[in-house]
Amino acid sequence: MGKIVAVHSYKGGTGKTLISINLAVTLAKHGKKVCLMDLDFRAPSLSTLLNIDKVEYWLNDYLNGVCEIDKVLIDLSTKIGSQGKFFVGLANPSVEAIRDMSSKDRKWEMRALGRLLSLRNSLLNANGFDYIIFDTSPGLQYSSINAIVSADLVIVATTLDNSDVEGTKRMLRDLYDLFEKKTELVLNKVMYDDALRSGRDRLQALVKDIYQVPLLGVIPCFCDISRAEGKIIFVHEKPEHPFTRILEDIAGIVDKL
Amino acid sequence: MSDKEVLGRKPLQILEKIKENLERLNEKMEIMIELQKHGRREFEPITPEAPLDVMTLLSMPDHLRKTAMTVCRLGRATADEVAQQTHRARAVESAYLNQLVIMGYLKKERKGRKAYFYLDKEGQE
Repeated sequence: MGKIVAVHSYKGGTGKTLISINLAVTLAKHGKKVCLMDLDFRAPSLSTLLNIDKVEYWLNDYLNGVCEIDKVLIDLSTKIGSQGKFFVGLANPSVEAIRDMSSKDRKWEMRALGRLLSLRNSLLNANGFDYIIFDTSPGLQYSSINAIVSADLVIVATTLDNSDVEGTKRMLRDLYDLFEKKTELVLNKVMYDDALRSGRDRLQALVKDIYQVPLLGVIPCFCDISRAEGKIIFVHEKPEHPFTRILEDIAGIVDKL
Repeated sequence: MSDKEVLGRKPLQILEKIKENLERLNEKMEIMIELQKHGRREFEPITPEAPLDVMTLLSMPDHLRKTAMTVCRLGRATADEVAQQTHRARAVESAYLNQLVIMGYLKKERKGRKAYFYLDKEGQE
């Protein structure tokens, strides 16, 4: 039985998309059948990052009930040359689509939740997918909460920035607890020296103390990632990079959860 | 067919009918008890058919949220099926499900002796 993983955060720029893409590709490289979905309808980014220009149907269409999910998925397995399978579902980045998605009413959002929940049957059960990974919008927005409610596991990306720490704490307590979601935390952009010096056990205890959830991984602040300007799939093109090894560890833990 | 068999079937049918009626009566009692406990006003939906979206789920009391989310996941379910997921008693779930119907978040449909609860999606899917 496959798993739905949502990657979420309180603030923007915490590395949700970086983690989503690289986790999806790492899992596919481990031989899994993976589907990555861009649910950040306010600021879609996967179509640009993955360099896809010809798209017939978007996830917007699936949620609008225009088409079924098989029409939306794009097979990128050959692009990463993995043993597994790597599919993506994209959010429409046109201004018109963004405006359309931000003006939906509650009834529509309720149906959208139904469509997301039914992916468990259509993709995990009927099509043998091992993972669906949702890349979401930051903060408390309909599309993100729909994704969280539909997921089996939520990975929360956070930095040590004070406003992020406080907001994330509040969000975990007031939102995640209510939905009784299995949650893991990834600390991103940690200064390399600090991360090395404190050691994993101490950070694990610290995170547990602050957020009351387990620590899934620590990603130091890598200049190489900024330097890549979002033009490469890091774990694919830099197999020897420490970032890739961290993602390997994260994927290993996610697979066992 | 012997006289004995005909006689044997009739009481069984009558007993089943009585059981069915008792179950319906029980459900009505549960609703009445809940209404008395909380007062009718609390149960009145904001709109005749309030959508059960995530923001509504968030604002619900914990015990109802658990039931509502289970119906969201299952799509359509009996009190028995919900109880299996939540590990609470069937009678408890039946009361919560009926509360959600009164509040306008769920629809209820009878098929034979079973009552199914589901989200009203206006004929979608």
